[in-house]
Amino acid sequence: MPLEYADGGVIAEHTAVRENAGVFDVSHLGKARVTGPGAAAFVNASLSNDLGRIGPGRAQYTLCCDDATGGVVDDIIAYLYDDEHVFLIPNAANTAEVVRRLTEAAPAGVTVTNEHDAYAVLAVQGPNSAALLTTLGLPTDHEYMSFSTATLAGTELVVCRTGYTGEHGYELVVPSDAAVAVWDALFEADPTLKPCGLGARDTLRTEMGYPLHGQDLSLEITPVQARSGWAVGWSKPSFWGRDVLLAEKAAGARRTLVGLEAQGRGIPRAHMEVYAGDARVGEVTSGTFSPTRKVGIALALVDAAAGVSVGDTVEVDIRGRRTAMTIVKPPFVKTSVR
Amino acid sequence: MIPEHLRYTAEHEWVSGDGPAAVRVGITDFAQDALGDIVYVQLPDEGATVQAGESLGEVESTKSVSEIYAPISGTVAARNTALADTPELINTDPYGEGWLLEIVPADPAAVAALLSATAYGELINK
Repeated sequence: MPLEYADGGVIAEHTAVRENAGVFDVSHLGKARVTGPGAAAFVNASLSNDLGRIGPGRAQYTLCCDDATGGVVDDIIAYLYDDEHVFLIPNAANTAEVVRRLTEAAPAGVTVTNEHDAYAVLAVQGPNSAALLTTLGLPTDHEYMSFSTATLAGTELVVCRTGYTGEHGYELVVPSDAAVAVWDALFEADPTLKPCGLGARDTLRTEMGYPLHGQDLSLEITPVQARSGWAVGWSKPSFWGRDVLLAEKAAGARRTLVGLEAQGRGIPRAHMEVYAGDARVGEVTSGTFSPTRKVGIALALVDAAAGVSVGDTVEVDIRGRRTAMTIVKPPFVKTSVR
Repeated sequence: MIPEHLRYTAEHEWVSGDGPAAVRVGITDFAQDALGDIVYVQLPDEGATVQAGESLGEVESTKSVSEIYAPISGTVAARNTALADTPELINTDPYGEGWLLEIVPADPAAVAALLSATAYGELINK
């Protein structure tokens, strides 16, 4: 996946997704399958979110936490087929580790398979994505975070009502050998469809305040700190990191992920330091220029002890220049996923 | 696109005019294309003195931040205030509306010593 496509540009690609439709080749994402008697129960006892909240045919955002520290090994979309079949889409760089941890913990009869090379994933995102897929005879009416199978270009594929852009959209999980045919079919169905790169993917997800693993979530950052507690099934009897995360939740996180919006023209970037007066109170984990809002935006981990909250002004050190930012609650741009 | 009438630096800036009056400075089409969508420009204030080869500001795109180096020594006479609200002018018109600033050369001969269009063309096509 390129940063941006030739004669595209991050802003044009970003705008296509917000206003029309764009497609991302996110085939780098991992694919893993957990199968066998008790597969879903095993996943539910390992990953953070509660699979009991969804039924077959539904997908769920969940976390793989380290059991000892509660830090996040990866964030994952889990597709529940049935009690004996769960399909996982982890991040590219973390797939091997997630598969390793699940394999190590799997009970007899439950198999964890890394199917990374078997599938391509094409994310068709934007307000016109449904019309585009309808033209191709693909199902589009299923609810947000659900999936169904269909046939296109002579191959069976999975159409998921998921994405990471904040727009109404679909992710197509396609057998690798049919990926090019499906990609071409999408552009034949709608010549206005724009191929989009990693640059736009990052600006789109940052506008939504969606975390990126390796920046806003990591082994050093727990879901309690990252305000991802909504993706944790707190009442479940078991999931990796349960004890340490429950304790942290009860005690209060020592730092939390907040949104920052520049008051002036500076653009915050990852690893820049955040100040309240002379005190260093945190660090930017993701920062970018918001093409929709035309302002610098960021996610930052801020120390609870600093006592700053939504509406307060802090400063980000942008290459030696202190730049005033307002603490806000993401999203920075209204979500339209449904 | 490398206009014949301009002078260039190896850091992908162009200079228009030859002193002793203020010369206009911008970044080349090659540079803006490599940077991608430009979203923010930081420039020195009018009256600031700049030294040839030293950083005088930065251009930030959706992809990266690049420093702008002074092509010659001198005093900043003007800056393109339109870039504050429309930095994308650098993308759409790098040699025209997207100019960065004007510098009164400390040594007018310094401009003639910069790269010709032909020499700059050879540099970027290496």
